[in-house]
Amino acid sequence: MAKMIVASSSSCKTQIPPPLSAPKPKQQQPNSLPQATLPLPKLRLPKPLAALSPKSLPLLAAAAAASSAALLAQPLPALAEEIEKASLFDFNLTLPIIAGEFLLLMFALDKVYFSPLGNFMDQRDAEIKEKLSGVKDTSQEVKQLEEQAAAVMRAARAEISAALSKMKKETQVEVEQKLLEGRRKVEAELQEALAILESQKEETLKALDSQIAVLSQDIVNKVLPVK
Amino acid sequence: MNVLSCSTNTLKGLYDISGVEVGQHFYWQIGGFQVHGQVLITSWVVIAILLGSASIAVRNPQTIPNDSQNFFEYVLEFIRDVSKTQIGEEYGPWVPFIGTMFLFIFVSNWSGALLPWKIIELPHGELAAPTNDINTTVALALLTSVAYFYAGLTKKGLSYFSKYIQPTPILLPIHILEDFTKPLSLSFRLFGNILADELVVVVLVSLVPLVVPIPIMFLGLFTSGIQALIFATLAAAYIGESMEGHH
Repeated sequence: MAKMIVASSSSCKTQIPPPLSAPKPKQQQPNSLPQATLPLPKLRLPKPLAALSPKSLPLLAAAAAASSAALLAQPLPALAEEIEKASLFDFNLTLPIIAGEFLLLMFALDKVYFSPLGNFMDQRDAEIKEKLSGVKDTSQEVKQLEEQAAAVMRAARAEISAALSKMKKETQVEVEQKLLEGRRKVEAELQEALAILESQKEETLKALDSQIAVLSQDIVNKVLPVK
Repeated sequence: MNVLSCSTNTLKGLYDISGVEVGQHFYWQIGGFQVHGQVLITSWVVIAILLGSASIAVRNPQTIPNDSQNFFEYVLEFIRDVSKTQIGEEYGPWVPFIGTMFLFIFVSNWSGALLPWKIIELPHGELAAPTNDINTTVALALLTSVAYFYAGLTKKGLSYFSKYIQPTPILLPIHILEDFTKPLSLSFRLFGNILADELVVVVLVSLVPLVVPIPIMFLGLFTSGIQALIFATLAAAYIGESMEGHH
């Protein structure tokens, strides 16, 4: 491809009738005629050149080239000086040099930029993913810890309730004992009090028996006044 | 063809008015060959900008990126995204090619619009974007052609050429023609857009030096970016096309 394009431009410079290549170079030839023909050897006489070239062209391109030559005929003498220097489609050694520069730039940028930064980014992505999965693992750990805590709490609660019930039983026994003792004491005192009461009652009754005779005598004396 | 010669004529007319230097080159002689010096100078500047900024920003990558590193990571992800959508899963080895293509064209185009090249006077011709020269664009387009042939041949060996007669052998000439039209369209699209953009700006500036050229300049920046993206995307698409399997 490069060779074809370069060949096309060089062929119009050297004014060799185009070989049996594709129609593309022929198309380019009239384009590059005003400019590309000029920089090298035969740029002395632009006007006969423009008139000459249609002859060397195949018939197909001749009409178009003639019209373009007619168009060019007027500005050519006036602008001959400038046109001489101007060449848009001027292929030369710049092309391979730029290609080489591009390849060098590609390797340099790959060394400096694409590979190091790309690897770094990939590595960071991997690290972040790893850390994320690590976080998921610790959540399992947290669950285990929570379960442990719950077990500890349950054990503690059981212990406490056991201690509590034990204490309760002990105090109950104590309380019952004390209660029993108190009851016994109270009963004993009650018995005692009852016994005292009984004895007092008997004493009072005895006293009453002795008094009954006197009282009855009194009553009789009062009711039956015997003088 | 007529249109082209007409347009070069009108260009010549405008060129007289504005003093635009179209198609003039600052020639260097290297061993009997002629070289466009202004293209090489500007391309060196572009390469220096790219390598310098990249090496400064990526010198010591941080886990939490700072501003410049963040920007370069964004650019790299953009390039990877473009390559991945066009080439497919095996895009990895092609990232440097596509990325360099995009960055070189993009920085070249923007340097033509943003850097004050005109301050530096050359004895002949003037400094402009490297993509302003047909040699540069054809070189890039040819490298793209080589790249997609290389991609197809390494992936499939000689059976790569069986795609030329794939649906039917009748299409063989069209397939062969495609191999020529691809670099041709790539190079001329880029060349034409950048040259036309710079010409429009220069001509407008010479006619109306105030305010009017500003929107055109912004349009130029936009076009430049789009052209770089188009070139890189198409290069990736061609590579992907030559690597994809037969149906």
